[in-house]
Amino acid sequence: MLEKDKLRKADIFSGVIFILFGFWIISQALKMPMKDSWGGVQNVWFVSPALFPLLVGAVISTLGILLAGMAVISVGGQEFGRLLRWLASSQLIVFLQTNGVIRFYAMSVLFFGFVYLNLPRIDFFLCSILFLAVFISMFYFDDDRLLKKLFAFYLAGSIVCLGYFALGLSETLEATLPYPNDWLAVVFIVSYLAYAWILIRQVPALRKKYRTSLVLAVVPPFLICPVFKYFLLVPMPTEGLVVAMLDAIWYWDF
Amino acid sequence: MMLLERIGTFFTIILQLVSEPITLAILFGSVLLGIIFGAMPGLTSTLGVALLTALTYGMDTATAMVCLLAIYVGGTYGGSYASILINIPGTAAAAATALDGYPLALKGEAGRAIGLTTTASAIGTSISMLFVVSISPIISYFALQFTSFEFFLLAFFGILISGTLTSPDLVIKGWISGFLGLFMACVGRDLLQFYPRFTFGFTQLDSGVEVVPVLIGAFGIPQIIQVLKERFQIGETQKLQRIIPEIGTVIRNVPAIIRSALIGVGIGAVPGIGEDIAGWVSYGTAKNTSKHPETFGKGELQGVLASETANNACVGGAQIPLLNLGIPGSPPAAMLLGALMLHGVTPGPMITFEHPTFITEVAAILLLSSLAMWVTGMLLAKQVVKVLRIPPPIFMPIIGMLCIIGSYSLGLNIFNLYLMLPVGIICYFLTEMGYPIAPLVIGVILGPMADENLRRALMVSQGSFMPVFTRPVSLLLFLVIVWTVISQFQFYKNFKNKLVARLRRKKSVTAVGSNGPPAEE
Repeated sequence: MLEKDKLRKADIFSGVIFILFGFWIISQALKMPMKDSWGGVQNVWFVSPALFPLLVGAVISTLGILLAGMAVISVGGQEFGRLLRWLASSQLIVFLQTNGVIRFYAMSVLFFGFVYLNLPRIDFFLCSILFLAVFISMFYFDDDRLLKKLFAFYLAGSIVCLGYFALGLSETLEATLPYPNDWLAVVFIVSYLAYAWILIRQVPALRKKYRTSLVLAVVPPFLICPVFKYFLLVPMPTEGLVVAMLDAIWYWDF
Repeated sequence: MMLLERIGTFFTIILQLVSEPITLAILFGSVLLGIIFGAMPGLTSTLGVALLTALTYGMDTATAMVCLLAIYVGGTYGGSYASILINIPGTAAAAATALDGYPLALKGEAGRAIGLTTTASAIGTSISMLFVVSISPIISYFALQFTSFEFFLLAFFGILISGTLTSPDLVIKGWISGFLGLFMACVGRDLLQFYPRFTFGFTQLDSGVEVVPVLIGAFGIPQIIQVLKERFQIGETQKLQRIIPEIGTVIRNVPAIIRSALIGVGIGAVPGIGEDIAGWVSYGTAKNTSKHPETFGKGELQGVLASETANNACVGGAQIPLLNLGIPGSPPAAMLLGALMLHGVTPGPMITFEHPTFITEVAAILLLSSLAMWVTGMLLAKQVVKVLRIPPPIFMPIIGMLCIIGSYSLGLNIFNLYLMLPVGIICYFLTEMGYPIAPLVIGVILGPMADENLRRALMVSQGSFMPVFTRPVSLLLFLVIVWTVISQFQFYKNFKNKLVARLRRKKSVTAVGSNGPPAEE
């Protein structure tokens, strides 16, 4: 949680956001049938589907007004002006490049990349290995300089993958190579690991961490996913190269 | 006769559970997993229950409850390990334990402290189990008299009180958080007319927001980001000697234990308030009533005893509103509610008719869990402590992966993940800005109940709010809600202070008057 004085400043903005959000809920609720006919039934206001959202929207915007008002009084006009000047200055850019914020970006990109980009298209085992390998190594090395480099590499790789999926190359390649997306993921994993090795190979302590990261990136997916897939009979979000191999072993299907 | 029958059912269920080796293995395994989750700073029992819910999907309801209640009990207790050995609470529930637990460890009495927390936690859970069995029928009986207005007001009260008591900063933030949860509950087709609300044309949203994935996102993702962003480092672990059950100390402190257990059960029964508050209130009470309050914070055994008994008693307390009213008493209980719904059990006043032995079953599982926790704590504490040496950057990404596969497996729907992640990121920002997450979760869960009952009640009364004032329970709930809101404002506090000061003045004038005028010299 932020410090007390920063909290009050943040309250001004969160209060305003909630005021707007409350009004948005009300505006959406007003589009719902209030006294009109819906599904052949003539509505009355107290059965309307808009009733509860209207109540919720009104309360959220009222609480937002109270919060923002209290925060403005607490912070004071002068400090508020200084805050606005800070937001318009280059200091904001400096803040957005601090190590803590970069760590946040790294985690967000990893999660969003995993869920929105890789998971619907790449074999779940492979995208889990990629996620864990990048996530564990980035933070376990505990070196912000390395984290930035590894994050930049992962981001670049993700942009390449995004382009590959957006251009529909996967469908074109599928005719000649089975599981092209999975092979792309394998290439991504191997190149990331190779890049990480080049960065840390001179430091013995990091070499040990590298090996640990590698083991922990591979072992958990092979422990957790089979439990879901073969014992709980939960099909993986995307089944490709590795799942096909495991299926062959599990059902002895050679 | 009814009582004897219930006691008979209770022991039959215990015998049934104990006689099945698989159930026993699940019980001990889940308790151990819970202790590990509780012990590792950054992981919580709520997250443990959330992740395990996915694994219980294929189990029958009784086994699933064994699994989930055992991890809940184990997780609440496990938090004390990190509190005592590294002075960092494994869970918020064990924060008060650190105040005296760590000084004890510094004195070389870590084994004694862990032995005491193990025994106290087991006793706390067992006492709370007694309340689950004895109070539930009474609450259930009263709840059956409730009409839609009462249920609407009860849901509203749950959200407000949770927002009031769990907010780390301003109370308004707790309320906003609760209403955000209510908004999320509005998404999907409404329950009375099936009108699509806030779905934006996504058919996946027609059935509403899936509760469990949202809860996993709300508790899991912010936790991972917080721990790794702030470069959370685990300090040096104090040495752990032989674990002693400390039964003598426990016997000497029976009244304090009973008081702490009552505090735990009472706080657990209030909707949405977790084990952390129970621990702090009990610790504060123990300090205030002690003959030597100056020893608290310096390694006082009573301090450890008070917080640990209360936080584990809260587990049972949280089951009381959950099972009888369908209102979760704590964040892990909210997860349990989600799990129960997955298994086709709808908690509420009708539970005693639809599943007559269910509450007794829960009580039996609580008792077995507390026994399993005591045995596991006594035998495996030294091994479990080793997990405290695992650095967070190693286990947090794995937890992230578990959150994802767990959320997906509950509905076999990738759309759940598309919702879970933004919810998690928003919850992270909310937490950073001092908004509590528990009211949001309670709001998501109680939203449908509040919405449906408000409209049903108004349908019956033809749009009149008068029944709120003519029905005694409604009126009481309404007044409590109004008081809860008003009591947070400065004008009320000023008015109260003025009133108290005036009453005191009046009292002193009366006292002087009754003693007669001072004698003239």
